[in-house]
Amino acid sequence: MIQPQTHLNVADNSGARELMCIRVIGASNRRYAHIGDVIVAVIKEAVPNTPLERSEVIRAVIVRTSKELKRDNGMIIRYDDNAAVVIDQEGNPKGTRIFGAIARELRQLNFTKIVSLAPEVL
Amino acid sequence: MQSFIGGSIRLGQRQGFPRWNRAQFKSSAKAYLPSQSSSNAVQGTNNSIKSPNNHLLQFLGTTFVSQANGVCSVPVLSPLAAMMSSSSSIYMTTAAFPNMHSSEPFPDVPTRIKFKRLDKTAKHIMQIVDKEAVEEVKRQRDVPEIKPGYIVQLKVEVPENKRRLSTIKGIVIARRNAGLNTTFRIRRMVAGVGVESLFPLYSPNIKEIKVLDKKKVRRAKLYYLRNKMNALR
Repeated sequence: MIQPQTHLNVADNSGARELMCIRVIGASNRRYAHIGDVIVAVIKEAVPNTPLERSEVIRAVIVRTSKELKRDNGMIIRYDDNAAVVIDQEGNPKGTRIFGAIARELRQLNFTKIVSLAPEVL
Repeated sequence: MQSFIGGSIRLGQRQGFPRWNRAQFKSSAKAYLPSQSSSNAVQGTNNSIKSPNNHLLQFLGTTFVSQANGVCSVPVLSPLAAMMSSSSSIYMTTAAFPNMHSSEPFPDVPTRIKFKRLDKTAKHIMQIVDKEAVEEVKRQRDVPEIKPGYIVQLKVEVPENKRRLSTIKGIVIARRNAGLNTTFRIRRMVAGVGVESLFPLYSPNIKEIKVLDKKKVRRAKLYYLRNKMNALR
């Protein structure tokens, strides 16, 4: 349940460390974003000497939430943190490596590149 | 009327009364009750047995009679308060009234089983159905006991990943009992991130559950582990 003003960790090596969500992409007046939703975020903290800088507005896709993700077979997954992967307009990740576990639902949402780079797909 | 005596004797035996009561009981009871036991009377009482209200009165009558140690008094209609405070609770038994048409779903049942009144049994139907479903699953698959604090290893089949089963290893931090929907939560570290997964215990996707270790915990829900960095699991 990511909403504007939520701070998220970054799960790739694109150069950003922490993002703050400023808008949930989807319908207008959409309240919360879950795993697989695209958000507009501003970079709050960045790794030095990388293409991305602090207070830059970028798009990201949410890959981990502390709010549970429910599956049809009765399984529920809950991560310990909120994390996103920085993407560009088409949906390709800006970084080259992904850290941490990724949920399987991203594959259905056409983020196949992210899923293939992930060390563990849950 | 004969069946009334027989039923009350059986009920008396149920209460664990000694055998000598029976002899005294029979002789004195016969003296007070009408001697001619016509078939009409038997049928009359049998018909009246079927309504639960009348059963209550008769049952009370028998408790009164049996507790009087052989001295048979006419069964008195006791007030409602006494009815409620009587030690034996109010239920129908199939052994005492053999000509009761049994509409309960258990045709072959040992004589000692208790049934609630028909309208009360209806409330428990879902519980009975649930228990049967759980037993059905347990017969097909071996589901071990899982309590919080156990370290378990699961083999879960994922529909998309049909090639092989994924192995999930973690500590059980919670268990919620709800019949067939009993669920348990497993906490583990995956690639540096803590992940909690909740599984239905009797899910067909879980192919195997193996208990590796048992930790001593003093709690039913181990949510405090979320703040503790569990390094290895």
